[in-house]
Amino acid sequence: MKKLLIVEDEEALCLLYKEELSQEGYEVTTVYDAEKALEALNRERFDLIITDIRMPGRDGVELITQIMGLRRDIPIIINTAYESYKEDFMTWAADAYIVKSSSLDELKAKIKELLRR
Amino acid sequence: MIERYQFLAPDFQSKEPKELALLSLISQSFFQPFSVEDNLLVILTALTSGSGVGFNRAMLFQAAGDKLKGEVWLGPRSAEEAKTIWEVLSTPGIGYIEIIEHNRWLLNREADSLSQRIRPLAYSLNQKNLSIPALSAVRRELVLVRDARQESFIDPKFLEIINVDEFLCVPLFSREEVLGVIVLDNAYTGQAIEPKDVKLASLCGLMAGNYIYASTLHKKMLEMERMAALGEMSMFITHQIRNPLVAIAGFTDQLLNSPNDEDKKKRNLEIIRKEIKRLEELLFKLTHFLKVGTAKAVPFDLGPELQTILRSSEMKMKSKGLALQIDVEEPLPKILGNATYVGEALRNLLSNALEATAKGGRVTVQVRWESPAWVIVDIKDTGKGLSPDIKKKLFTTYFSTKDKGMGLGLLYVKRVMEACGGKIEVESEAGQGALFRLYFKTSEEGRSDA
Repeated sequence: MKKLLIVEDEEALCLLYKEELSQEGYEVTTVYDAEKALEALNRERFDLIITDIRMPGRDGVELITQIMGLRRDIPIIINTAYESYKEDFMTWAADAYIVKSSSLDELKAKIKELLRR
Repeated sequence: MIERYQFLAPDFQSKEPKELALLSLISQSFFQPFSVEDNLLVILTALTSGSGVGFNRAMLFQAAGDKLKGEVWLGPRSAEEAKTIWEVLSTPGIGYIEIIEHNRWLLNREADSLSQRIRPLAYSLNQKNLSIPALSAVRRELVLVRDARQESFIDPKFLEIINVDEFLCVPLFSREEVLGVIVLDNAYTGQAIEPKDVKLASLCGLMAGNYIYASTLHKKMLEMERMAALGEMSMFITHQIRNPLVAIAGFTDQLLNSPNDEDKKKRNLEIIRKEIKRLEELLFKLTHFLKVGTAKAVPFDLGPELQTILRSSEMKMKSKGLALQIDVEEPLPKILGNATYVGEALRNLLSNALEATAKGGRVTVQVRWESPAWVIVDIKDTGKGLSPDIKKKLFTTYFSTKDKGMGLGLLYVKRVMEACGGKIEVESEAGQGALFRLYFKTSEEGRSDA
C-alpha cells in the first residue's frame, strides 16, 4: 500500500483528505505543520507528500526546500488555496501545483499519475 | 564652536542675489505639502515676480499623451494690475505659503481670462510639422523668439493670444519624457530678454522638470504600495474563503455519495455548520476591518475606555495566573480617534499579551502624556517575545503565530492607529517579552495646567 504524507493546517481538510484518499487505497498520515512533517519524514518512508504552503510557523516553501535536502526522490504536490504562489520559483521544485477546489478529482488524478512514474 | 543653520529660503524680497532667492524658492517645492499644480504655480511666480527673474507673464503647457496642452497663464492682465501684483509679491517676509495663497486668489478671480485663453490650445508632440511651443519641448532646447510675427513656424492662434514680438520657451523634461513647456514674455515692460535671463530661466526649467518627475515617481510609488496591499488582502481573503468551501463541498459530497452512512451524517453536518460559521465570521471581521479606514477621528477620553477594558482583562489574566500592572498618568488630555475601534485595538493587544505570556508572568500597561502632542500607551509582556523574522511579518495580513488566528489582529490595530493619525511600534527579542507602543495624537496641544 502506497503511503502519503499530508501537511495541512486546516483540521477539517485533514480529516476530509484522510478519509477520501484512504478510500482510494492509500495509507494516509496527516500532520498540521512543517515541524511535524519533518519528524514524520525522519521516522518513516513515504511515497508522496502533499503540502499546503502558507501555514503557521515554518511555511510550506521552506518545508519543500528541506525535504529536497532530505529525500530527493519523493514526489511533492503543493495543494493550496493560493493561486498566486504558482509563480514563486521555489514552488517549481514541487512536482505539481494544485489549487484547492470543491472537487478532489484533480488531486486524486495527480497522485495516481505521480505514483505511476 | 559650531554654527547651525536652517534650510530656510532667503526672503523673497531680500538683499540676497535674486538668483539665489529664486532657486531656493523653487527647490522648496520638493518638500512642500502642496499639490503639484500649486507648486508649479510657485515656480511660475518665481519666474514672473519683480524680484525673481522678472518676466512679466508665464504660461505653462503640460504634456498629456502625445499632445502639449495649455494649462495656466500666470501674470497680470494689464500694466496696472501688474503693478499691484508685483507689490504684493515684493512684501518683505512673504514666504512659500503666502505665494501659494496669492496664486490661488489670482486664478480664482472671477475671470481668469488669461488661463482660459490658452486652455483650448493643444500641439502635437510628434516629430512632423512641429510648431512653437511644441518644438522647444520635443527638441529639449530653449527657444528665444525675437521677431514672432516674421516666423512661419509659430502657430498663428498662439501668436494672436500671446500678442508679443518676443518670448522665451523653456522646455520641461525628465530623463525619459517631455513634461511641458513654460513660455515667458515681457508684455508690459517691453524689456528685451537678455542672455542672463535665458540662463536663469533654463536653470528654473531644469529644476521644475526634476520636480515634476520626482512628484510623478512618488505618486506611482504610492499607487504601487496601495496595489500591493490590495493584492495581499485579496490573497488573504481567497485563502480564508477557499478552505472552508473545500471542506463544505467535500463533506457534502460524502453525504451525497453514501446517504445511508448514519455515522457520518451527524458528524459531517456539524463540520459543515462550523465551516459556514467561519465564513460568516470572516465576513463580519472584514466588513469591520474595512470600516476602520473611514471612521472619523474625534477627541475622546482614553481613561474611562481603558478602565473598562482593563477590568475585563484583569479577570482573564488572574485566571491564567498572570499579574497585570497598570500605571496611568493623571491627568490625560483627550486623544484623537474612534473610541470603539481604539478600544478594540487595545483589547486585541491585551489578548495577544495574555496569550504570549506563560503562568507567573506579568503584563504591564503604562499610559503617559509624553509631549504636548502625544499620549503613549505601552503594553508590555514577559512572554516568549518575537524573533526578528516574526517581527518583520508582524503587520502583514496573513501572518499569525496562533493555530487558529486569522492574522488580522495586528493589521487591524495598525489600521486603527493610522486612521487616527497615530502609529504603532514594537520592541522585542526572542525570549525577552514584547513591548507594543501606541502613539495617540492629543486633541489639544499643551497642558492647560502647565
